[in-house]
Amino acid sequence: MVERFLNMLAGVRRPALAVAAAAAMLGGCAGRDTGAAEVWDPIEGANRFVFSINRAVDTVAIRPVAVLYRDWMPAPAQRGLHNALENLGEPVTAIAEVVQGDPGRAGTTLARFLVNSTIGVVGLFDVASAIGLSKTKEGFGNTVGYYAGVEPENGGFYIVLPVIGPSNARDGVGLAIDAAVDPFSIVAFSISRDAGWIYAGARFGATVLDTRSRTLYALDDLERNSVDYYAALKSAYTQQRAEIIRQKREKNGPRAELERRDKLALVR
Amino acid sequence: MPFASRRAFLCAAAAALALPAHAADGPAAQLIEKVAAEVIELIQTTQGAQREAGIRAVLERYFDLPYMGRAALATHWEATTPEQRGRFLKAAISAEARAYSERFGQYGGQTLAVTNVSNRPNGSSVVASKLNQSNGQPIAIQWEVRDSGQGLRITDVKIEGVSMVMTRRSDFNSYIQNNGGKVDALIGELEKRASR
Repeated sequence: MVERFLNMLAGVRRPALAVAAAAAMLGGCAGRDTGAAEVWDPIEGANRFVFSINRAVDTVAIRPVAVLYRDWMPAPAQRGLHNALENLGEPVTAIAEVVQGDPGRAGTTLARFLVNSTIGVVGLFDVASAIGLSKTKEGFGNTVGYYAGVEPENGGFYIVLPVIGPSNARDGVGLAIDAAVDPFSIVAFSISRDAGWIYAGARFGATVLDTRSRTLYALDDLERNSVDYYAALKSAYTQQRAEIIRQKREKNGPRAELERRDKLALVR
Repeated sequence: MPFASRRAFLCAAAAALALPAHAADGPAAQLIEKVAAEVIELIQTTQGAQREAGIRAVLERYFDLPYMGRAALATHWEATTPEQRGRFLKAAISAEARAYSERFGQYGGQTLAVTNVSNRPNGSSVVASKLNQSNGQPIAIQWEVRDSGQGLRITDVKIEGVSMVMTRRSDFNSYIQNNGGKVDALIGELEKRASR
């Protein structure tokens, strides 16, 4: 299932076109354009099914490994893996920043990548931050959200992806484009099919471990303190993604955003 | 669900809101600083049931709990009797007090710094703050503060963009819908949890 999904993603090779298509698709949902409404979840039945499978897989396989990793792997090693994974994401960040119309920032990101890949030993150490090259993390989910003329809470329909978990039309398309424009992936797949899959699998596995170990606390808390974990996670995911996209937009028009937010008063 | 929070709760970008900077003082900011100081004091000096009681007192003193409860129940609020509202608020407050007292665990040297206060035209203020941890990234916390008659009270807390009231609202609403649209089912569940 995951493989088919990734294959489908690999088919996307025209980011600009795809961004436009995704933005148009999201624009089609403008009728539901209110952050105060419930998240749009037309395939809730299927989502809850995938969610329950994800939870089962998480309980028996992912979570225990993540706990062991968090508690027994020395902190510097954990930090090193995290830095290396973030470093692998820098080229995609830079590409997304160009598409977002910020080539200056993309330059800084590229400089970070060059410094950390060399002096920082394949990204294990974040030397760039220490010398004042600040870090950003971008992808095409953010980029689509930045350009789509809808509330950032509206990411199209909500979808729970196998293993990956909460997502929506916007972020799913974003992940697909991220995978398609990733230079490492392109190089690996151009060497051979096997090399491509080994790269993709290793990076995915390491990312799962790193991310899960870092979200143990927050997700345990959300699960324990909700009466419907599925609904609580859907809401939290949507809000958090919206906040990140809103911050991007606010850089350009703080007043407009503030005024708009007041129209979305929490309670009428 | 590893990517669940790929840009997640604790590792989200620490970028400050690019809003016009207001002086980070005034009554709203002072309220938040006072609450933070009291909570840190509680975490350092109390444990278990005593801490839970202390947190509960802080919630009751500085948070507009009826307002938050109404917001969390949203449209269901109108359909409830005063008796149900009372039971709902009592159970929900117990649940939040317990959640917060467990959440803090050991004091790890965190400090809260107010970074910005912005006033909204609707009369509320948003106090932006950063929870600085000894290890790891600072966590962005926004507090919504308003005066609804008995002085300034907190009406919502947003952690890394995730609003406590909004999340509870989705959570509660979904639970009610999956239980025949009955608010009583939710109240029963919350009471069951509170008595555990």
